[in-house]
Amino acid sequence: MKKYWRCHVCSDVHYGVNPPELCPTCKVLNAFVEISSAEAEKICGIAETTMDEVEFCDAIERFTVGNKFQINPDKNRVKTLLEGIFQNEKNYGMKYCPCRLTTKKFEEDLKLVCPCNFRIHDTYKDKEDGECWCGLFIRR
Amino acid sequence: MNNLLMFHGRECPHCIVMMPIVDRLENETGIKIERLEVWHNEKNADLMRSYREIIEPKCGGQLRTPTFMNTETNDILCGEVKYEELKDWASE
Ligand code: SF4
Ligand SMILES: [Zn+2]
Repeated sequence: MKKYWRCHVCSDVHYGVNPPELCPTCKVLNAFVEISSAEAEKICGIAETTMDEVEFCDAIERFTVGNKFQINPDKNRVKTLLEGIFQNEKNYGMKYCPCRLTTKKFEEDLKLVCPCNFRIHDTYKDKEDGECWCGLFIRR
Repeated sequence: MNNLLMFHGRECPHCIVMMPIVDRLENETGIKIERLEVWHNEKNADLMRSYREIIEPKCGGQLRTPTFMNTETNDILCGEVKYEELKDWASE
């Protein structure tokens, strides 16, 4: 089961089965201590950040750096997908994939939040011209 | 209700590709496929979810759009397909 962890040096919060060995922010080793979800929520609530369509595009662009995939150069396709992703966020609270439907089980549906783990999709895996199911990400 | 259904998403590029192909099939053969949008219509979404056990094994374990379903035979087709393939599926 995933739990919450806090870096005792810089208060980075991590949600996962195990804590990171090395704190990604302060680089201290073995710095994480388990905390309650209530504490984690308070810490994560400190900073309010936004993510509009432009910011999301920047974020996924940066996400592709160093990876073997890129954003589809087909601008129209990307525009349609972004519309769907943001409509879904507005209506259902998360950036759900516009090409698949949620099950209404929140944890299970995390697999449908964009970008999803499309590396395992049959449309991507072991395919030279692989792409995520919707074609937002394609192989370089 | 028609026994041939198409579950689709308004902002799904695969569905956008399939729409004119479905139009053509309907015009050329008289077959009707009921189109049910799932991301902007909760009733349609719940209907698609109610067929999870039938759809998922044939669509990579997911509720992908588009999914074509024959509710009499439970015959499923998912994703982008060629006109002929859709016609074969719909004519069975
Ligand atoms: S299939 Fe593509 S568009 Fe859909 S959630 Fe995954 S990465 Fe995003
Ligand atoms: Zn730290």
